[in-house]
Amino acid sequence: MRAVILDGLVLGLAFGLLGVGMTLVYGLGGVLNLAYGQIVVLAAIVASLQMEDGRATLLAALLGIGAAAGVAVLLDLTLMRPVYRQHGEERTLLGLLLTLGAAFVIGGLLAWRYPTGTLYINILGDPISIIGVPMARGSIWASVIALAVAAVLLLFFGMTTFGRGVRSVIQDETGARLVGINPSFVRTVIFALSGALAGIVAITQGMSGPLGVNAGFELTTFALIVTVVGGLGSVAGAFLAGVLLGVVNSMSAHYVGQYYTTIILLGAAALTILIRPRGLLGR
Amino acid sequence: MERTSSLRRLGLAFLPIVATAAILVVLPPIWFGDSPYTTSLAVQALVFAAYGIGFNLIFGSTNQLFLCVGALAGIGGYGAGILANETSLPMVAGVVVGTVAAAIVGGLLSWIAVRRSLGVIFTGIVTLVFSLAFANLLLGQRDLTGSETGLVVTGVPAKLGDDQVGGYYLFAGLLVVFLVVFRLLQLSHLGWAFRALRDDEVAAELAGVNVSRYRIYAATIGSAMIGLTGALLAYSAGFISPATYSFDRVDVRVLVLVAFGGLGTLLGPVLGATVFAFLDERLTESLELREVLYGVFVIAIFLFFRRGVVNAVVDLWKRLGGRRREPAVQTSGD
Amino acid sequence: MLEVSGLAAGYLGERVIDDIHVEVGTGEAVCIVGSNGAGKTTLFRTIAGLLPAMAGRVVLDGKDLTRRPTHRISRVGIAYVPAERHLFPAMTVKTNLVLGAYPRRPDSATLQLVYDLFPRLHERQRQHAGTLSGGEQQMLAVGRALMAKPQLLMLDEPTTGLAPKVAQSAFQALEGLKSDGMTLLIAEQQVPLALSVADRGYVLENGRIRLSGTAEELDQNPEVRRAYLGVA
Repeated sequence: MRAVILDGLVLGLAFGLLGVGMTLVYGLGGVLNLAYGQIVVLAAIVASLQMEDGRATLLAALLGIGAAAGVAVLLDLTLMRPVYRQHGEERTLLGLLLTLGAAFVIGGLLAWRYPTGTLYINILGDPISIIGVPMARGSIWASVIALAVAAVLLLFFGMTTFGRGVRSVIQDETGARLVGINPSFVRTVIFALSGALAGIVAITQGMSGPLGVNAGFELTTFALIVTVVGGLGSVAGAFLAGVLLGVVNSMSAHYVGQYYTTIILLGAAALTILIRPRGLLGR
Repeated sequence: MERTSSLRRLGLAFLPIVATAAILVVLPPIWFGDSPYTTSLAVQALVFAAYGIGFNLIFGSTNQLFLCVGALAGIGGYGAGILANETSLPMVAGVVVGTVAAAIVGGLLSWIAVRRSLGVIFTGIVTLVFSLAFANLLLGQRDLTGSETGLVVTGVPAKLGDDQVGGYYLFAGLLVVFLVVFRLLQLSHLGWAFRALRDDEVAAELAGVNVSRYRIYAATIGSAMIGLTGALLAYSAGFISPATYSFDRVDVRVLVLVAFGGLGTLLGPVLGATVFAFLDERLTESLELREVLYGVFVIAIFLFFRRGVVNAVVDLWKRLGGRRREPAVQTSGD
Repeated sequence: MLEVSGLAAGYLGERVIDDIHVEVGTGEAVCIVGSNGAGKTTLFRTIAGLLPAMAGRVVLDGKDLTRRPTHRISRVGIAYVPAERHLFPAMTVKTNLVLGAYPRRPDSATLQLVYDLFPRLHERQRQHAGTLSGGEQQMLAVGRALMAKPQLLMLDEPTTGLAPKVAQSAFQALEGLKSDGMTLLIAEQQVPLALSVADRGYVLENGRIRLSGTAEELDQNPEVRRAYLGVA
């Protein structure tokens, strides 16, 4: 039982980061980035290619994360421009459709060039015992990294001037303009950040197990579920929802089975929309 | 005088359907010859055109982003298939049950969206969630559905197989019926309500249009169409699996081809399905490249070409000063 | 300091304001009066860059600000307090004020100034802006604008939703600002209040400037008196 919960927490931390990346972009611009999962896969493929070329794991990981951030910025500067020119539901719909298109382009290209592309970062060493449960070193590394990133984000959004600026754009974009904040610039930076987060998820997932080139759609789905349950636009909510759903996933997979686990997670998202649309911590 | 002019208008309204039907009828002898391969391709195109008309009714006409076309078709298909295998009921019964089940689910989803005032994003997510959950349900219920290995559907008249001309005419007939229904809806009070709804929901509501009710009607009828197509597909293909009705295979394609043809137009789905059938044929080597192409198409269409081909053609015709072919009954896209 | 010439703006291709000429000198308090729908808010939004100008120019100390985006105009020295205020509801009063100084670091002297001007804000500094009363939100909006140490303070209908007494004290605060040397541009429906603080004024009607003059001139003007003060 403890093992199941710990596994769930490890997964949950990854879910959490995934959700944060997606919810940030939504909170700032009203866009659900359906290409998010493919960006994770992109980072994974870049990192694994670098490792095959013989580069040190750390460098490969950083390059992967950088690539993801870069592609995200590219997406923002190109496809998102016409989306931001729209408002309200028009913007949402166009954002959904264009990022869906981008998902197919990125996913398709990656699957075509690297059909067997997989990222696996094998952390050598014996399992370490955490509260009596032997945990693979890879999972421990993944969790530590995720927690560290979460802490950095917390500091960033709570304490720095730019972080406050980001929050202000989420809460009242016109108000942000009035105090001299450029929402466009903030959005681009945050898009890059979400890309970097996607890259970090790729690396940490690669430490827990092989991450294949076809995982994109599934990852986007998980990110969507976590974002919705946490509350669209709420960073803390996404993280919390991620951890919770990770544990739920782990427990349900153990006791009920894989297919029904997915249905349960999907059901959580649907239930949230129907019963409490603002999610766990949304406004 | 008035009688003839409105009869004339009616005639003009149905002219495109008659023309399409005529083309469909003569196509096999002229073109397919006896090639089962070409026939099955044509059937595929017809199936997607039929899906498209249903989707057009739901999204094109009333702006409800239903990302569960595949699942609705799957309800029709698996409903009919399971019934065929588990009971001794005839084919018709299976098809009817499948269609009705899909209609009920679609109507229910719309009702939920209306009751909870779900906007585009949430409707999309809920229907997507339903779509994925349904796929997982199919995979989970091994005994009933055969999971990934699929279901063989028994009791199919051989003539209606999807590589046979009989199958072709079955779906061609279905398509024509759908076109007629769509046109009748456009001409009716419902059609007027749909157009008002699309242009400005608030104004429509104020003008007395019960927006919620019409949305549910559209969703129910559209879902019935999709379910019926899915059920017939199960019979004519003789074999179905979750992949037949998956999100990747069905929903994405339907979205792209309907948007390409023209959301809300009568012949848009037909045009889109035809074009994409040709494209698919050319690109048989790589599924992944096909995916990339779809992505590019989605982006291109929604950035530059939102009104679709049919509307572009109509606009061009008007610009060239031609007589407006169908005055009062015409629907423009956006 | 501020010169608006030939300005026209509107929505969906339609001009709501046209041929607007307004001048505000350094240290002056100028008011724009007009009834609902006259175009005051449209004018202010255009000056602040929230609405693109269709014609004409907005010049601040020789710098052409026409069509600049709002965040650039804020940084150049125009602080705009709209009627809707646009505060950050889930942030504390203090954070709202601190953000007013963006991108600079908040100047503690200026913060103290704001607290001196609006002691209520100091009391409620840890409260979320969304929970404040109307009058307090107005104070916060003005305070936030002041944190940027603006050259020009624009206020759109500052008395919206305020009880008469509160409205009076709001204008007293504005008097105080003016005597400290702040340049003010105020849009108001309540003419007597506006004229009490202003040096000069413009009357906006149906999107055009109908009259202009010193506060005394406008106050004496029989048309103004009849239309807005209800006096024959």
